[in-house]
Amino acid sequence: MLAKGVKRKHGEMEAGEAAAAPAAGGSPAPAAPSDSLFNISMLKLHQSLRHVEPNLRYLVLVANTLRRIQDQMPAEAEAPPPPPGRPPAAPEPPAGPGAAGCPDRRGRPAPEDELLLSSWDASLCASLPGAPEGAEPPGPARPQDAAPPDGEPGGRPDAPRPPHPFFGSLELLGSTGSLLEDSLEDIFEDIDTSMYDCDVWSPTSLAGFKAFSGADEEGEDGGRLDMNDLDYLMDVLVGTHAL
Amino acid sequence: TACYFVSVLFTADIISTVEFNYSGDLLATGDKGGRVVIFQREQENKSRPHSRGEYNVYSTFQSHEPEFDYLKSLEIEEKINKIRWLPQQNAAHFLLSTNDKTIKLWKISERDKRAEGYNLKDEDGRLRDPFRITALRVPILKPMDLMVEASPRRIFANAHTYHINSISVNSDHETYLSADDLRINLWHLEITDRSFNIVDIKPANMEELTEVITAAEFHPHHCNVFVYSSSKGTIRLCDMRSSALCDRHSKFFEEPEDPSSRSFFSEIISSISDVKFSHSGRYMMTRDYLSVKVWDLNMENRPVETYQVHEYLRSKLCSLYENDCIFDKFECCWNGSDSAIMTGSYNNFFRMFDRNTRRDITLEASRESSKPRAILKPRKVCTGGKRKKDEISVDSLDFNKKILHTAWHPMENIIAVAATNNLYIFQDKIN
Repeated sequence: MLAKGVKRKHGEMEAGEAAAAPAAGGSPAPAAPSDSLFNISMLKLHQSLRHVEPNLRYLVLVANTLRRIQDQMPAEAEAPPPPPGRPPAAPEPPAGPGAAGCPDRRGRPAPEDELLLSSWDASLCASLPGAPEGAEPPGPARPQDAAPPDGEPGGRPDAPRPPHPFFGSLELLGSTGSLLEDSLEDIFEDIDTSMYDCDVWSPTSLAGFKAFSGADEEGEDGGRLDMNDLDYLMDVLVGTHAL
Repeated sequence: TACYFVSVLFTADIISTVEFNYSGDLLATGDKGGRVVIFQREQENKSRPHSRGEYNVYSTFQSHEPEFDYLKSLEIEEKINKIRWLPQQNAAHFLLSTNDKTIKLWKISERDKRAEGYNLKDEDGRLRDPFRITALRVPILKPMDLMVEASPRRIFANAHTYHINSISVNSDHETYLSADDLRINLWHLEITDRSFNIVDIKPANMEELTEVITAAEFHPHHCNVFVYSSSKGTIRLCDMRSSALCDRHSKFFEEPEDPSSRSFFSEIISSISDVKFSHSGRYMMTRDYLSVKVWDLNMENRPVETYQVHEYLRSKLCSLYENDCIFDKFECCWNGSDSAIMTGSYNNFFRMFDRNTRRDITLEASRESSKPRAILKPRKVCTGGKRKKDEISVDSLDFNKKILHTAWHPMENIIAVAATNNLYIFQDKIN
């Protein structure tokens, strides 16, 4: 997460800060946030959610800041409906920063659209000062690329804010942290996982699992599959048992 | 008082925690590679009068290893987040060290004698033929070179779903707490297969999560009282006698926000990164991004003292947000008499505040000032206008050189300051 303290040109920084933070003189309400601050926050949120176990403090602070920014952004009287040809979720990432065909985001998006994490401007992201090298949009197998809920509201600013789907993927961690819960299947439905199908497991890999999980775990299962279940699963995979 | 350089010790990896033991004779560091290095204070030595105050390596051991959780496809970092010493009860020393998920109790003991003259084996260790033994002898103890051994005595695992940020030993010396982002557990030092959950702030629906636990500590004298701080700048004091699950606090400490300084980053900079009780138990100190606050436990609505650590950063918050420095977690500490507090900053600067005189000083932990018994020169940051000689301008600060971890000897004015992978020891007098 850490990058060097990047020196920016004085004028550039002042402009960014004037837009993002009140002057030292102290006006009670913060000025309208810049697009850049919003985009930086979205980038941070994306990157954090890409981890299997995100740094929760970081995630919460960034999400709360993003909410503040969104609250201050000038509300659109009527948010433009998503263009009919645009798919609701964009699971395939563009080839890379500045790739041809990468959707450009023009104008300020409706806040609710942003919550969907559905579009990504890789070229914008790459051009941000201090953006990490090779920043790229989430890959296809990431849980947060969930399709938007049906009937999601348009950009009515005074509609009750829906619960943020930022943390929908965190629910997947749950108390067991197991990725094998059923609720995940829907998310992966439209994703081609054939390259990840594990049909070449060997029995020895289970022994490795046991050793690695540590002889010192005397505690309760905590939701982990026990060795019998794993044995059975193994047998199913290598075809000894039919499902 | 002046501050003198004593020594600087280099570790292989970035230091992630520093802690003196109760007597101050031992100083433990944990690093990003899962190693613990314990330093011991040099004894008084008339032939080397300047050596007192020096700390030398006493023991090094690998506390935690990286682990891989195959089910989650996740690597658990071996970085030591915290070390806490247990009060000494016999010749051995005990400490707790923790990474993100697992706490371990280590016993550090000395061996300076060995037995010689066994009956059943000879000096090489080879077994003697019992039929050849005609006489029995009593083995005698002979001195040997001092060997310090560290062995793991307890492993407290599988109790934290989220990342452990704090451990704190209770004044009863039998229990301790461990806190992660959403839960706090109470352990008995003898029992590893279960712990009691005493705080749980996980919302039923994770999408409603807006606040996490950032630090927790037991009261130094009242074994039923502990505090925990949050990412929203609040501190809750809980009494374990009032209920088993301490989700309801006994006291709630929060300073109202100053409306004139409100910004998008207000919440982030109010997030508390460390909380420490004073030795007396009457006060507690919290560290947020720009300041250190001292709270009287009897006054919940505002701190009694506020010290600005690096107020010149307030106008740079946007840049610091961009490069993630705004999320840095600085620690703070009291001196033995609670008359002074210390915390770190950027550019390898650290700050000390005298609570009585209200004087403060900024010093730098750097190689340049690392000559034996050199006196440290106070540093000053120039915030604008004409930069005086010896001042450093805000834009020249190196934000990669951050002092997050500092420790103060429990009784004397000896301080340990961790600057990346260098451990600096300073003291207030030379011999």
